[in-house]
Amino acid sequence: MAKVSFRNVWKKYGNVSAVKELNIECPDGSFLSILGPSGCGKSSTMRMVAGLEHITSGEILFDENPINTLPPKDRDVAMVFENYALYPHKSVFENMANPLKLRGQDASVIKERVTSAARLLEISHLLERRPQELSGGQKQRVAIGRAIVREPNLFLFDEPIAHLDAKLRAHMRGEIKHLQRTLGTTMIYVTHDQLEAMSMADTIAVMHDGELQQLGSPREVYNKPVNAWVAGFVGEPAMNFMDAKIEDRAGRTHFVHPNFAIAVNDEQQRIIASGARQDALRVGVRPDALSISMTKPPVDHITGKIFVTELLGGDMIIDVDLDDCRVRVKTSTEFEGVEGQTCYMTVNTNKWHAFSKENGKAFF
Amino acid sequence: MASREVIQYEGWPSKVFKWFSVVFIAFYMVWTVLPLFVMFMSSFKDLLEAFQIPPVGDWAGVTVFFNFTPTTKHYYELFANLGFSTYLFNSLVAAGGSAVVSVVLGSMCAYSLSRIEFRGKSDLFFWIISTRMAPVVAVLVPLYWIFRELNLVGTLPGLILAYTTFNLPFAIWILKGFFDNVPYAIEEAQMVDGATRLQALRAILPLVAPGIGAFIVLCILFAWNDYLFAAIIGSGGAKTLPAATRELVQPQNIQWGQIMAAGVVTALPMMFLGLIIRKYLVTGLTMGAVKE
Ligand SMILES: Nc1ncnc2c1ncn2[C@@H]1O[C@H](COP(=O)(O)OP(=O)(O)O)[C@@H](O)[C@H]1O
Ligand SMILES: [Mg+2]
Repeated sequence: MAKVSFRNVWKKYGNVSAVKELNIECPDGSFLSILGPSGCGKSSTMRMVAGLEHITSGEILFDENPINTLPPKDRDVAMVFENYALYPHKSVFENMANPLKLRGQDASVIKERVTSAARLLEISHLLERRPQELSGGQKQRVAIGRAIVREPNLFLFDEPIAHLDAKLRAHMRGEIKHLQRTLGTTMIYVTHDQLEAMSMADTIAVMHDGELQQLGSPREVYNKPVNAWVAGFVGEPAMNFMDAKIEDRAGRTHFVHPNFAIAVNDEQQRIIASGARQDALRVGVRPDALSISMTKPPVDHITGKIFVTELLGGDMIIDVDLDDCRVRVKTSTEFEGVEGQTCYMTVNTNKWHAFSKENGKAFF
Repeated sequence: MASREVIQYEGWPSKVFKWFSVVFIAFYMVWTVLPLFVMFMSSFKDLLEAFQIPPVGDWAGVTVFFNFTPTTKHYYELFANLGFSTYLFNSLVAAGGSAVVSVVLGSMCAYSLSRIEFRGKSDLFFWIISTRMAPVVAVLVPLYWIFRELNLVGTLPGLILAYTTFNLPFAIWILKGFFDNVPYAIEEAQMVDGATRLQALRAILPLVAPGIGAFIVLCILFAWNDYLFAAIIGSGGAKTLPAATRELVQPQNIQWGQIMAAGVVTALPMMFLGLIIRKYLVTGLTMGAVKE
């Protein structure tokens, strides 16, 4: 087991910079999730840790030892590949035994470790099969099994459950998190699915275009996104963004938009006064920080027109048209508005966000 | 209603086509198998019997074709007096040797071309294939000169080298396809599991083995059936079956019986080889692919 540190790590493929100036510390035994859309450099990061790509510049350290020049076999990491990369001509047992065999373990040890890993993953009955005789979920378990039969420094999971169906994915999230907690091995888990990262990780590293955007706990990333991009990427349904002007009305800062004029709270007023040098910004509100009603509330509110309503089992999502944009609101299933009606939304101003219009940085 | 007419309309051309296919295949079979059959039968006939041909149009006279006393004297003559056992041996060594050399060197080269990125890779690959684009005759004269300078003319190593020259580019081309079909991730997984680069390569060999096996056969076939190299590079000390057979055609005297027997001796081993690896040949060249 090891602590993993990235120090100013760059990865370039020719002219393309896949990873730019990455700095992350991942404490021993913790669960780090690298989150970002497809093509943001997650796999490249992972492959540099595994030793499958050269590190263009910078350093990756296990504990205090730079590993830049170590070949993969000497790094002692266990990786689950995006496409499983099972050995098609070997049985499940042989697939899982492979890392132990390469390390010259005794047959009896191998047998014991593989069977116990198989029991843990509930694939004991599949040990004689070949990969092509397995379903996606089973293949994925075998790939995980191959990773956990030994005690590596580090687990590297590259979107291991991205190809599974939704239900199995939900199940596997819990399983993998539990597995990591049980084994206590440091984990770097790559995903493009914010829900996976939110639900599993101790720390999330949000990446975009090869750059680390934010490093923090799931709560921090969700509640205090450092910029509009992170705010928009994390959370489902996604955060609503509205362009607003900053106006002083009776000594109180208001965010003003054709559909609303809403006062900020005391702390936000202070931040805006000291930080925002422009007179316009982007307001971000999560769908659950809005409450919608068909009657005009007595407080500051947003006026809009219902575009469509979606019932999602226990919740309802209402799409509301404003003059220049559309926002989504989460509400309870009791809501009775229908398409085309005028509706009113109040904002929980403790939970809204303001971002610079120029660079997207968060004011609060 | 209308739909039934459409079905009928589609029906008769495809029916005609089906019949046509059957007839075509039957004709094609006669076309390809008949000469072999005649060769096989004639090799057991005395010269006089072999030339008993009924007049054109006399279909009943076909029976004379089967009307003969079998004799193995042509085979006896080939092996006892004409040294065909040496030629058979030469053929085996030249074909087998060049196939093994081509496949060993070819798979190493194909593996590198498949896995490693380097500048000028596609140009190099194209150049390798392009050496097969010129007809063999075009390079035969310079090749002969080079071989003569190196004292390789009329030797088995010379012949093996000559066949390898022409099998190797082909081997690289085909085998690269096999390696390309094996996802590199499998080797990467091996390396992360703790394998060295070489161990990882060894681990994927079983995946390309059927393809390599099938390709060895193609190399053997090419060398075995070759006449041009055999006649020019192999002439003298390393005579192979096709070259030796050609020598049975003498200006005053064409040894038809022996030629037929030599033909059988040449064709039979390859037919057996074909039968044995039939399964590989069919699946091998298409199934080098590894499904994930
Ligand atoms: N071998 C490679 N050669 C060139 N560009 C690459 C290579 N691998 C990845 N890239 C590029 O680097 C960027 C990051 O890729 P990757 O790390 O695979 O992203 P992710 O895993 O987040 O989807 C992408 O723009 C991709 O096109
Ligand atoms: Mg990826």
